[in-house]
Amino acid sequence: MSSSPLLSVRNLEIEVSTRRGPAKVVDGISFDVERGEALGVVGESGCGKSITTLSLLGLLPPGARVSAGFALMDDRNLFTLSRPALRKVRGGRIGMIFQDPMTSFNPVLKIGDQLIEPLVYHRGLSRAEAWERAGELLRLVGIPGGEARLDNYPHELSGGMRQRVMIAMGLACEPPLLIADEPTTALDVTIQAQIVDLVKDLRARLGMSIIWITHDLALVSGLVDRIIVLYAGKVVEEALVDDLYAKPTHPYTRGLLASLPTLEGEETRRLPAIGGTPPDPGRRPPGCPFAPRCPLKVELCERAMPPLEPVDGRNSHRAACWVTTGAMEMAA
Amino acid sequence: MSSPALSTGPAEAPDETVSLWRDAWRRLIANRLAVFGLAVVALLILVALVGPWLTPYDFLSQDINARNQAPSLVHWFGTDDLGRDVLSRVIYGARTALLVAIVVTGIALSIGVLLGAVAGYAGGRVDAFIMWLTDIAMSVPSLLLVVVINTSLKPPLARWMDAKYLETLNPVFRETVWIDFVLVFGSMALILWPPYARLIRAQVLSIRSRNYVTAARALGLPAGIVIRRYIVPNALGPVIVAVSAGLGNAMVLESAFSFLGVGVTPPTPSWGNMISDGLRVWRTYPHLLAAPAAVLGLATIAFSFLGDGLNDALNPKQWRK
Repeated sequence: MSSSPLLSVRNLEIEVSTRRGPAKVVDGISFDVERGEALGVVGESGCGKSITTLSLLGLLPPGARVSAGFALMDDRNLFTLSRPALRKVRGGRIGMIFQDPMTSFNPVLKIGDQLIEPLVYHRGLSRAEAWERAGELLRLVGIPGGEARLDNYPHELSGGMRQRVMIAMGLACEPPLLIADEPTTALDVTIQAQIVDLVKDLRARLGMSIIWITHDLALVSGLVDRIIVLYAGKVVEEALVDDLYAKPTHPYTRGLLASLPTLEGEETRRLPAIGGTPPDPGRRPPGCPFAPRCPLKVELCERAMPPLEPVDGRNSHRAACWVTTGAMEMAA
Repeated sequence: MSSPALSTGPAEAPDETVSLWRDAWRRLIANRLAVFGLAVVALLILVALVGPWLTPYDFLSQDINARNQAPSLVHWFGTDDLGRDVLSRVIYGARTALLVAIVVTGIALSIGVLLGAVAGYAGGRVDAFIMWLTDIAMSVPSLLLVVVINTSLKPPLARWMDAKYLETLNPVFRETVWIDFVLVFGSMALILWPPYARLIRAQVLSIRSRNYVTAARALGLPAGIVIRRYIVPNALGPVIVAVSAGLGNAMVLESAFSFLGVGVTPPTPSWGNMISDGLRVWRTYPHLLAAPAAVLGLATIAFSFLGDGLNDALNPKQWRK
């Protein structure tokens, strides 16, 4: 069984109820996370990246529900777990790091008191034992002073420090999977790099799998092994990092990569941007959701959603585009 | 490590650990009116606790030769129509007032916290049902409800207690204060709980969607712990403010009921029944009305100032603007 993936998500659909009826914000996403693998999930705001991971932990906001698909972990479907079983998964099997370290701590509890909760609850440690372990965790995530910081309140730490504490919290029970939901978005650039380095280092030492959600392709390139690109609730491309950079195939991926600033080239060059905005989840076009913004679009794109097709005949790199994968010729 | 521009919160000494509560306390004592309120409330509590040892006379002892006396050095606040020392009765009345305030607010708050927290956390139909109940409770005319409860239930309860006393000779059944506890305080709590339930539901609703609550749930903490350690302490600020104002409110309400004859049962002195007695003779003996009314007013204002101060101290965002 060791060869089976740690997590398999198949055909996941998530519906959000709106005034105009249910809207599919996640529309048939499938992906695997191998043991020890770091997977990057990339896409712009509203493409369904965060809500996908929240659904894995049963933390969907009111009004949103999983309407199809399953997520297998430890031979169990996460979507049908009982509440107690789900609580064991949260923190115990899947750790989560949130986007905004400034608002993700309870302002009335000391850092230490929050850090020990998963240890006391999942591991059954006494408070004293957990406190000691929490000090070790703080040193592990590179907080100078270690356990002396446990007595601090959240508002006494800087954003970068808080994000380190949150990583320590997510890793407290050594879950085999760590989900990081845009953990560096709220931090300034130098701190971002530190956090990425820290997670890289922790992964090398602890060997957990990672799902790193971001809209910043450049940031994750050095951290993850594989990337899936989401657009309007669908996977439009998945590839190993090097393949994605060497041969971005979906026009959306190409647009994302082209809009990254580089150190080479002319200084005065304007960065290209992808025109337009993603479609409203309530009324997506029948064909490829990217078609309205796509420079390569042909008539077929507006009629039918392209399937995920291997690029260059390899299953590790797949893209959903009629034009660039050559799927159109095959269909014809 | 450089702190990003996101750093929030008041500037504090970096090497000193400042809890939210200590921070609030600092802001509270910087507010003069709040300190005044706090001082009066502290005095009230002190007097209520040690009152019986402070009073120059027994609050029940009557002196037929010293009826309706004006304030003097012997009787600072004068005496009433039975020759009882008004100061002693006012001091003892502090005990009654505080008892009313604490017990009534306590019961109302407990009902409010329970229903409000459940409604806010559970949402959906449970929420709709509880809020429906709250609306109904708020729509009943409160004075009428209290009068009906007291006039219809007090006599049978008193008769039952008398019978029980004759049967068991247990002095517990001679204490009219139990009737007050059950009927007067109970009916007051019954009309005072809905605002607490609404406030707490609103607080829980807003805090339930905060990031740190999601973060706590993502760590797999049970709902009980999430509510107790993550939601309730953060919801407390406005509730403390409401309770402070509510304590003063309960005292005034008791006076109103005493005036209507459905308050604390005489001869237990309450500021309310003293005011009610004093009103009948205020043209001839104004001190009988003035003394308890002034004290009641002072206590109510003190609770109100303290509530305002707490509001500023516990909701600093509002305070800054």
